[in-house]
Amino acid sequence: MTNFFKSFLLGAAALLGTAVAAPAQDGGLTYSVKGFVDTYHAIRTESPVDWMASRTRVRGEFKLDYRNCGAFVSANLVYNALLKDLSGFQLREAYAYWENPHWDIRFGKQIITWGVADGLRVTDLISPMDYTEFLAQDYDDIRIPVGALRVRYIHDSWNLEAVAVPVAEFFKLPTDPANPWSVGTLPPEVKPERLPKNMEYGARFCCFLGGVDFSLIALRTWSKMPEWLGDHISYHRLTVVGGDVSIPLGNFVIRGELADNMDDHGNHQGNALAGLDWYPGGDWNVSAQYNQTFGAGEKSSLATLRISKALLNNSLTLSTFAYVDVKDGGIFNRLSADWAATDQIHAMVGYDFFYAHGGMFTRYAHNSEVWVKLKYCF
Amino acid sequence: MFLLAALLLAALQVDAQTGRDIVLRVKNRPDGETRYAEMQLTLTKKNGNQRNRKMISWAMDEGKDTKKIMFFTYPGDVKGTGFLTWDYDQAGKEDDKWLYLPAMKKTRRISGSSSKTDYFMGTDFTYDDMGGRSVDEDTHTLLCEEEKGGHKCWVVESVPKDSHEIYSKKVSWIRQDCDTAVYVEFYDKLNKLHRVMTVQDIQKIDGFWTVMKMEMTNVQSGHSTQITVTGPKYDIAVDKSLFTVAKLEKGL
Repeated sequence: MTNFFKSFLLGAAALLGTAVAAPAQDGGLTYSVKGFVDTYHAIRTESPVDWMASRTRVRGEFKLDYRNCGAFVSANLVYNALLKDLSGFQLREAYAYWENPHWDIRFGKQIITWGVADGLRVTDLISPMDYTEFLAQDYDDIRIPVGALRVRYIHDSWNLEAVAVPVAEFFKLPTDPANPWSVGTLPPEVKPERLPKNMEYGARFCCFLGGVDFSLIALRTWSKMPEWLGDHISYHRLTVVGGDVSIPLGNFVIRGELADNMDDHGNHQGNALAGLDWYPGGDWNVSAQYNQTFGAGEKSSLATLRISKALLNNSLTLSTFAYVDVKDGGIFNRLSADWAATDQIHAMVGYDFFYAHGGMFTRYAHNSEVWVKLKYCF
Repeated sequence: MFLLAALLLAALQVDAQTGRDIVLRVKNRPDGETRYAEMQLTLTKKNGNQRNRKMISWAMDEGKDTKKIMFFTYPGDVKGTGFLTWDYDQAGKEDDKWLYLPAMKKTRRISGSSSKTDYFMGTDFTYDDMGGRSVDEDTHTLLCEEEKGGHKCWVVESVPKDSHEIYSKKVSWIRQDCDTAVYVEFYDKLNKLHRVMTVQDIQKIDGFWTVMKMEMTNVQSGHSTQITVTGPKYDIAVDKSLFTVAKLEKGL
């Protein structure tokens, strides 16, 4: 047994042992532990019919509270049979917080989500994406935490949030040839210097009213997806202003997001999204989105469609989520069935379908796969 | 003589009650300005297999409107999931609802009207059954008075005004001493008995009648759900800021 595998088992046992003991209270100090163990395996459905993924992990989430303050830590212990470099301990979030009825201050490594879009980025620009397995993993696994200070002032129907990220994080693109999701070899990456002038900062004002939610944002950030600049890849500064809105109307919720991305040369690129959620009853959910960029830079047109249906008293959920590259005619669709075998154990099976003759899905046109996942939650 | 006249008048007033009056009494039964409770939901399949859900909830009245926040605490895959609801008394005004999914770190505005007749989290209770149904969404008829479980009850038939509802009628046995429906039969569109709700334990807590245990059985599928309430509290000091999206996102 390798040292890594031993440490993996020991870590899993430690996490599970803690879970049994939690939650506990001791004179105002409270803690809670939750998490899961999951194992995920995917196989390509066309030649060469090889393994696309084979990994097992333990996720532990530990929360400590004492009066108005506390800390939260989330970490993975991963064994990846295909990509050994991705095995090991991964700290996801680790932050401390202080709060009272009107203030909520959080500092440390954290995932920050803005906006109302599903799986598409318009104003949700702070936490970048991890494309190690492209979109063929759960969306919450794709988000990359950032080291940030977040201060939020809370009123009954509105709140104001200010965020500062001293050192920006960028998209993670796989380059390992052994990874079926590799984007190929990239030239050297030149990241912004770690100087105070390069920090990210911004604010979001959110309002929650009877019949409508809306927010306004302003953000000094970076383009998070690397750009080819001759012999290297790099990033450029962006100033973003925008907002989002959600309006419930009977069985529907209308969502919208709009942003203006301006670089330091004064070039503007607009990014707009419209979404519609439909709750027809009978445990059906349908959600559609359309996203279009316009103005300077490369244009994109994307659409998404999600349909889900819960059956057998919610013990079985069937769902499909499709990304459609409207401009170039590509599709990525994740079809899945999730069966809750017990309160703790879920068994999932799915099919990821790719179709493309150009555009963002071309590289993965032959990556259609079937997958199975077993998950034990604690 | 005056006392006798008053008693007769009171008796006449009770006799003159309509089905709507009785259902309104149930709806308006005192329950404090604020409320707190922990609940366990046990879902039982026909073959005896069980699943459990646990949650914790707070509610606050604001005039005739009510704000509620609820978090799941068990099982692990839904732990931390929260619902925030602003229920409006005004007929025709849609409730405001938000759902927080901790895995996504995101709050979603959800439809305020569509889920009322959906089953709550896979249980046999609809959102309406959990207390969200307005009195005037049904036509109520007082059928008779009879004893049930040793208690004098009104028997009221309620027929939905909207033909798209999931049941054609329900018949409720409402205990007269505590204005609480203790046994309810729900009939499907073909007028066949579909579900039966039975209150198994009712207690007076802090001066308010409180259902501590109830069960809904789908007599057609054999599936049932038992709700057990623990630690209910009334008129507790709760800050208004508890019923905000920010609190929903901060969690327990």
